[in-house]
Amino acid sequence: MTEAPLDLDRQDAKRLRKGDLTGLDGLMGRHRDRLFRYLRRLLGDETVTEDLFQQTWMRVTERIRRYDASRPFAPWLLTVGRNLALDHLRRYRPQSLDEGPEPAAPADAAGAAPDPLAHLTAKRRRERLGEALAKLAAHDREVLTLRFEEELSLKDMAALMDAPLPTVKARLYRALARLRTRLLTQGPAEEWTG
Amino acid sequence: MSRHVEELLALEAAGTLSPEEQARVAEHLRECVACAGQAEGWRALAGGLRELPGPTPPSGLVARTREAVERRLAEREDRAWNRAALGFLVVFGWTLTGVAWFLLELVLGELAIRFDRPLGPTLLWFATYLAAGWVAAGAAAVLLGRRSQEEGRMA
Repeated sequence: MTEAPLDLDRQDAKRLRKGDLTGLDGLMGRHRDRLFRYLRRLLGDETVTEDLFQQTWMRVTERIRRYDASRPFAPWLLTVGRNLALDHLRRYRPQSLDEGPEPAAPADAAGAAPDPLAHLTAKRRRERLGEALAKLAAHDREVLTLRFEEELSLKDMAALMDAPLPTVKARLYRALARLRTRLLTQGPAEEWTG
Repeated sequence: MSRHVEELLALEAAGTLSPEEQARVAEHLRECVACAGQAEGWRALAGGLRELPGPTPPSGLVARTREAVERRLAEREDRAWNRAALGFLVVFGWTLTGVAWFLLELVLGELAIRFDRPLGPTLLWFATYLAAGWVAAGAAAVLLGRRSQEEGRMA
């Protein structure tokens, strides 16, 4: 019988606590993609992401004793990575942590085009969406990647972001609204208005 | 359309509404064409985000990370060993000094009895000598400790 990922994480964390680096291999094998994706979205820069990816695993190895094995490993890992990423952003790019302007009023943003992606080919849609996402503030990119790429629940997101649930909900809405506004207002108008 | 409704539609597309909220929104969407259109827009956006290809770690990054972790662990072991050795040496040095003090007191006491003259000034000089040794050992311990901390921060 194959073991559940949660059990494998527990076993690997236990190995790592004892200094056995095969535990690290197991954890990295299962969680490297999501950590890299999350850091890349949050930081927006490939080189910095690689650096902080390494730092995150070093810190995980050093602080593995603090990990509560009764809980899933991924949110703890992302929290470690998040703390390092926010330290980096505060130090080198404090402006990237600004919330940015409030999203435009729904009528202004959506008005004539309820679906800003409707008239585009799949490839073009992905490209434009990726570009628009990359131009959002770090907080917005973070909340969107946690929900849509990492598929974390609001509760897990609140724990990871150390914020109350209603705040996370509001952030998620604002990030979606800003993304939508950006898609509607930037790029060729005919693509968004049909 | 109010911001509250807009927010509900966006969060519905994100799949984060409670079952009660979800039921209320579904009921409203059955009756309101404008909101149904808006909901479709939010769902398309959410769907696009879910399908967005995520960045993946470049080849070699995981191996480099593994090596970096190994190096860090080896450095940490070295530092721990150095700290233990330093602690032992400091304790050992102070113990020897303490023992020397009692031995000297004993010898000088014997000499004072034998020659029947006070040896106070000699004792005072020796006490100063010992105190200087203690202060030097303490300063060395503090300096080495700080250096070790700085190395730890730089690593």
